[in-house]
Amino acid sequence: MFDINFVERSIIAAVLIGLTAPLIGSFLVVRRSSLIADSLAHVTLTGVTAGVLAGNLQAFWDINPLYTGFLFAFAGSLIIERVRHTYGGFQELAAPILMAAAVGLSAVFMSISADGVTEWYGYLFGSVVSVQMEDLWFIGLMTIAALGLLAAFGRELMFLSFDEEMAAAAGIPVKVFNVLLAVLLAIVISASMQVVGVLLAGALITLPAAAAMQWASGFKRMLLIAVIIGEASVAAGVTGSILFGIASGGGTVVTAAFILFATLLLRTWINWKRNRRLKYERHQGA
Amino acid sequence: MIFLEFDFLRYALIIGLMIGVVAPVAGVFVVVRKTPMIADAMSHTALTGIAFHLWLASYLVWLSEWNPLYTGILFTFIVSFLIEYLRRRFQAFQELSIPVVMASAIGLGVVFISLADGFNNDLFNYLFGSILTVNAADAVVIGIISAVSLLLFLLFYKELLFLAFDEEQAAVNGIPVQRVNLLFAGITAVIVASSISILGVLLVSALITLPAAAALRVASTFKSMFLYAVVFGETAVLAGFFASYYYDLSSGGTIAVVSFLIWTIIVLAEKVAGQRRQRPWKEAKWTDKANQ
Amino acid sequence: MEDSTKTLLEVNHLSFRYESELVLDDINMNINQGDFVGLVGPNGSGKSTLVRVLLGLHKHYQGEVRWFGTPVRQFHQWPKIGYVSQKANRFNAGFPVTVYEVVAMGLYGKKGLLRFLNRKDKQRIHEALEQVDMLGYKKKNMGRLSGGQQQRVFIARALVSDPEVLILDEPTVGVDAASAQAFYERLSHWNREKGITLILVTHDVGAMTKYVTKVACLNQQLHFHGTTREFEESDLAGAYGHDVHIIHHEHDHHAGGA
Repeated sequence: MFDINFVERSIIAAVLIGLTAPLIGSFLVVRRSSLIADSLAHVTLTGVTAGVLAGNLQAFWDINPLYTGFLFAFAGSLIIERVRHTYGGFQELAAPILMAAAVGLSAVFMSISADGVTEWYGYLFGSVVSVQMEDLWFIGLMTIAALGLLAAFGRELMFLSFDEEMAAAAGIPVKVFNVLLAVLLAIVISASMQVVGVLLAGALITLPAAAAMQWASGFKRMLLIAVIIGEASVAAGVTGSILFGIASGGGTVVTAAFILFATLLLRTWINWKRNRRLKYERHQGA
Repeated sequence: MIFLEFDFLRYALIIGLMIGVVAPVAGVFVVVRKTPMIADAMSHTALTGIAFHLWLASYLVWLSEWNPLYTGILFTFIVSFLIEYLRRRFQAFQELSIPVVMASAIGLGVVFISLADGFNNDLFNYLFGSILTVNAADAVVIGIISAVSLLLFLLFYKELLFLAFDEEQAAVNGIPVQRVNLLFAGITAVIVASSISILGVLLVSALITLPAAAALRVASTFKSMFLYAVVFGETAVLAGFFASYYYDLSSGGTIAVVSFLIWTIIVLAEKVAGQRRQRPWKEAKWTDKANQ
Repeated sequence: MEDSTKTLLEVNHLSFRYESELVLDDINMNINQGDFVGLVGPNGSGKSTLVRVLLGLHKHYQGEVRWFGTPVRQFHQWPKIGYVSQKANRFNAGFPVTVYEVVAMGLYGKKGLLRFLNRKDKQRIHEALEQVDMLGYKKKNMGRLSGGQQQRVFIARALVSDPEVLILDEPTVGVDAASAQAFYERLSHWNREKGITLILVTHDVGAMTKYVTKVACLNQQLHFHGTTREFEESDLAGAYGHDVHIIHHEHDHHAGGA
């Protein structure tokens, strides 16, 4: 009854995602482009549905839809940079436009495909317990790629995220690194597909980083805190999934959101107390 | 027009046409207020409401006679006020309020769906929309909602325009900024939630954002932006309706894809026609009227 | 306007802190009907903050601010006060809105909720556009105008509600000297012929002293408040004219608007 293998697989998958998603999220949050993660996740769904459909039609050899998902996410990340430049004063439109198109296309593909709804739910909301060995290989590979790239170019990416103009002035090839960041994001999203699902991948990427930003004074510290929050969230998600049959994405993101809410409340309270003390001291001084 | 012999299709068409007006109209304000993601946040909240309803209905049988969409509308309505409140109350929330609300809403929604064992065809229709699930009562409710929303948009047109253009100046001129913001959030919430039957939670924002985004590129006056947005929206709705009926494609999906195509065509046409010329007018001088 | 020395604005012991930094320190000043006040001070001297307090946008100040005798927190007749923000022409250039639509906004607050513009209002919008020589542009898209033209449209928007006071925050930034001079002429004309009270906020003293009737020098504290002639005779004129950042002279001219 109790198959140790599927539990192990899901725990490994979750730990890997809990590590990479908050890492890349920290760069996005600092760069103030956290919404991109959400839209790219939806583009990945288009890729996955296209992959499944291709399998249906036997137009191609049978490939894992996760790979088409990755390809689409990568293409999407390049498109979004383009669209961002077509609207002068309304840059924030780029993400929702791409997102709407992506979900629309996914829905059309799904309605053509012969596959039942249950298959899609796994991709939409995450189903960590159904991770197969093949999927685990994919996730592992993607994690190694992401960590390798971050280790090699983390410093440049941080500079770029912090201040693109300065980075350019300092001789960093901004365009190359923007593409690199996009590739990283596509890698992480397509890998997190099965753990949290398309609809929640963006949340796992941004929420831990947003919470970490409230506590950390330096970027390295922020990365560390974000990873801790991310791992705590996926731990809750996996537990909920194995013990109570709750879709893993749900538990994970609710936990991450709870941590962020608690952080913000605590921060507001601390600031309020500090201001009161300052006021009091000023009053005493006067 | 053979398909109109089916009652549900007639209702679906009527609902679609009504939504094809109100969603793009709300979208115009959403887009010029620079908060396009708010429609997404609201529709995801509606999913939480629907899921909550489904879960509760597995304990309270009488609830299953109600359309879960109404609970969705209620949730969206409440959360729209919550977003406004959070934005004002917490400085740190300024940028985060929408993604955070969206994420928590869908996370909670997924938890409720899991608890209700609701991963079935019904849920799929809520996510991506369906023209097969509507009835006369829905048409009446959505008709009333559309009429009231349009009336409110008309009555508060000038305040909404001013606020979207320049919130600070609007405050200086004595416009009740917070109350109008709340009103707008409330109307949008109700429009978003009532569009879900046809469009689905995941695609509502497509009909809100895309026609308005396309209209933004062609309109030169604010009023004409509404006209363009509604024409684009209705075109998409009709296309979606027929694609869904004749080819069995997802109605919400087709509506989104057609809206996106319209947007793409406009962007490309602009490219072909050359960039919009910036500042083509000569600098006018102050005439010497003061010394007359 | 000789006989009516009605006080429009009273500021008594106004202090304002941003976070823990003191931005405005014990400001006292009065502005009377018909004044043309130049509010000068170097960058970062608190001019814009003072204006925002006057407009009721910063509520957490200490001291007293009254418009037409009413404390600013309870003041509701905002259409009596026209305001052209320093940031006005940093609006979103992609916004699909015409010059006419922008000027019409100036009437929205005065009309109140649930009321629409009538023919008289439309006439008024035309007049306001004429006052800034922009009537010919009324159907043009706002984003396609030059910066100076946009600035004028925003002035028309402030004028359209027939305000008694017009507050202009750095209106000549980015405008060439000749245009700025013509602009000051026009302001001076409105001040004399229409009796409109003007508050001109600027960091550039040289150009405006020719036109304003009163000067207020601000640098966290109010260093001078009096007529233009008194100002020119004081040594502050030179100091401010050269945009000196910190002035420690104690010229206690908290004379009010006598």
